[in-house]
Amino acid sequence: MARLLEYEKARALLDRYGIRSIDSRYLQSGKEAASFAEKGNIAMKAISQKALHKTKSGLVVLNVSSDNAEKAFAELSKKAEKYRPYRILGQRMAPSGLEIIVGGRTDEQFGKLILIGLGGIYVEVFRDFALRVCPISRHDAESMIEQLKSKSVIAKDTETERMLVDLLLKVSKMLSENDITELDLNPIILHEKGYDAVDLRVMV
Amino acid sequence: MDIKTRRKLFDILMAPRSVAIVGATSNPNKVGHIILQNYIDVGYDGAMFPVNINAKQGDRIMGYKAYRSIKSIGKQLDLVVIAVPAEATPSILEECRIAKVKSVVVVSGGYAEIGRKDLQDKLVEITRKSSFILMGPNCLGIMNTRARVDTLFLPTFKIDRPKIGGVSFASQSGAVGSSILDMIDAEGFGLSKFISYGNAIDIDEVDILDYLARDDETTVVIFYMEGAKRGKEFIEAAKEITAKKPVIMIKGGATEAGATAAHSHTASLAGSYQAYEAVFRQFGITQAKTMQDVMDFAKMFETQPFPKGRRIAIITNGGGVGVIATDALYEAGLELASFSKESEKALRKIMPPIVNIKMPMDMAGDADDKRFAAALEVASSDPNVDAIMVIALFQTPGADSRVAASLINYSATRVKPIAVVSPGGSYTQAHRNMMESSGVPVYSSPDQAARAFKALLEYKEYRDSIR
Repeated sequence: MARLLEYEKARALLDRYGIRSIDSRYLQSGKEAASFAEKGNIAMKAISQKALHKTKSGLVVLNVSSDNAEKAFAELSKKAEKYRPYRILGQRMAPSGLEIIVGGRTDEQFGKLILIGLGGIYVEVFRDFALRVCPISRHDAESMIEQLKSKSVIAKDTETERMLVDLLLKVSKMLSENDITELDLNPIILHEKGYDAVDLRVMV
Repeated sequence: MDIKTRRKLFDILMAPRSVAIVGATSNPNKVGHIILQNYIDVGYDGAMFPVNINAKQGDRIMGYKAYRSIKSIGKQLDLVVIAVPAEATPSILEECRIAKVKSVVVVSGGYAEIGRKDLQDKLVEITRKSSFILMGPNCLGIMNTRARVDTLFLPTFKIDRPKIGGVSFASQSGAVGSSILDMIDAEGFGLSKFISYGNAIDIDEVDILDYLARDDETTVVIFYMEGAKRGKEFIEAAKEITAKKPVIMIKGGATEAGATAAHSHTASLAGSYQAYEAVFRQFGITQAKTMQDVMDFAKMFETQPFPKGRRIAIITNGGGVGVIATDALYEAGLELASFSKESEKALRKIMPPIVNIKMPMDMAGDADDKRFAAALEVASSDPNVDAIMVIALFQTPGADSRVAASLINYSATRVKPIAVVSPGGSYTQAHRNMMESSGVPVYSSPDQAARAFKALLEYKEYRDSIR
């Protein structure tokens, strides 16, 4: 049975492969939330095995400042009651930018697959993605980006393209070396300083 | 069984020197009769042994001495074709095992495909213990045009047997197999091997790709499959063959619902069909979405050299079709070439004033073979042109067999790939046949030609990427 890997473990796994994800930590109290938000606004998510679609379940609050963190924490905890057991994750708000998805899954015929596509809310609408079998070569990574209809917006310059190729190679290595049945890094936000994986879902 | 033995047996299966046909009979309505008849019709020159359980001493079937069993033949057999009902097959297979037959084709159906997995399991069990390889059950078997082998139970008068050529075709489904086979002949290109492998209890996609990769008579492969049994090995076999020759794949089951529930966006986007498509793309297999695309790609791959790039010259004797063709190029992800200054100068000298020397180049309705030949020569040596689409409308006053001849002559130089677009009725059809039988790919509409160019270019880019 597929199991969702705990957020901190998932983040540590990404770290090991040099895949950037946004600064985040589990919050035990409203106080902790307020102090985490001092360095900049945060998002809070209630995470539970029983609610895989956080946005749909209303278990996400965005752009929380230090001042209203305690109130937001209390409200979110109330909503999350019915999904017990749950934990609340605080996450630095990501800079705005284009949202992409990088993912993977284990296919029963061909083994590990890796995917890149236009992400966020557009994933299911445009279904613009490229898929390959792991491990991929640099040429494979380049051809995946080349294949996207949205290539010109996703890889808007050679620097971004190189960054995405490197990211794909790292994710491919991670998929190949670990027992991961499904992986969603969605969205990954592309911004001026690079990228950040904002939401992670690793099924093991 | 090790891979070397398996390969040796596969070679024997495809060119056997002795064949027993179990279920052979004088009754022309029976499958066993048709198979024997086909062997005779195609002129098979190895030893042939009809086997029928009801045969009596001294009986002959269609002139050949009849045997009651495999055992009673008493000779080493390269191939046994079994065409008796499913229930009777296991015991015959057991005879084959004892007689140390080299290869078996089970054409009969009535196994897993109708829910009789128990019967199929019996065949699997006997095959595992044996020293033969087995094709089927529930298949048409094999055809090898050069070795004159034909295990198909389709009467020759109902399905045209293609001429000898370089295209080999493998199909999981017998129905897709026989219809594409018939189309191959209608499209005028030649066949090397046909393999219909049915339920694939022993010989599967991996074995077949491996064989066709090794087979020097095969230059282009067409493949129809619904699913591969051994994913990882399939990838290895695909890499091996596409490094040598193009494989055009038509994969059934695109709309099949995903078998497993998705917990992620990734899994809901990338189902099992998408995984196949990813494998095809990554390892150089050309995917065709329709049966027509299969034909269109195959004749391009079989006859034309690789293009250097995506710039296509359009030479036409009708303006409107040239415009449609230009749109078709961009639709397929290709580009319209533009002539170099030198080419323009050279063409200006040759073409009458009415001809506008700009792409798509409309040579006007009175263009004759000399105009076509001159334009081809210029385009052929122009460094800005990677491939040439010639629109030859035979309805025009200038076009006749001499135009077809000049296109044939150009195609034979194999300098740059060429595709001819000639839509039309019976007069056009006669010229299409002339050109196609001389190795010029001819299409009814520009979009078909454009897609075929694109497929050729993509395969060429794959070959470049693995160098």
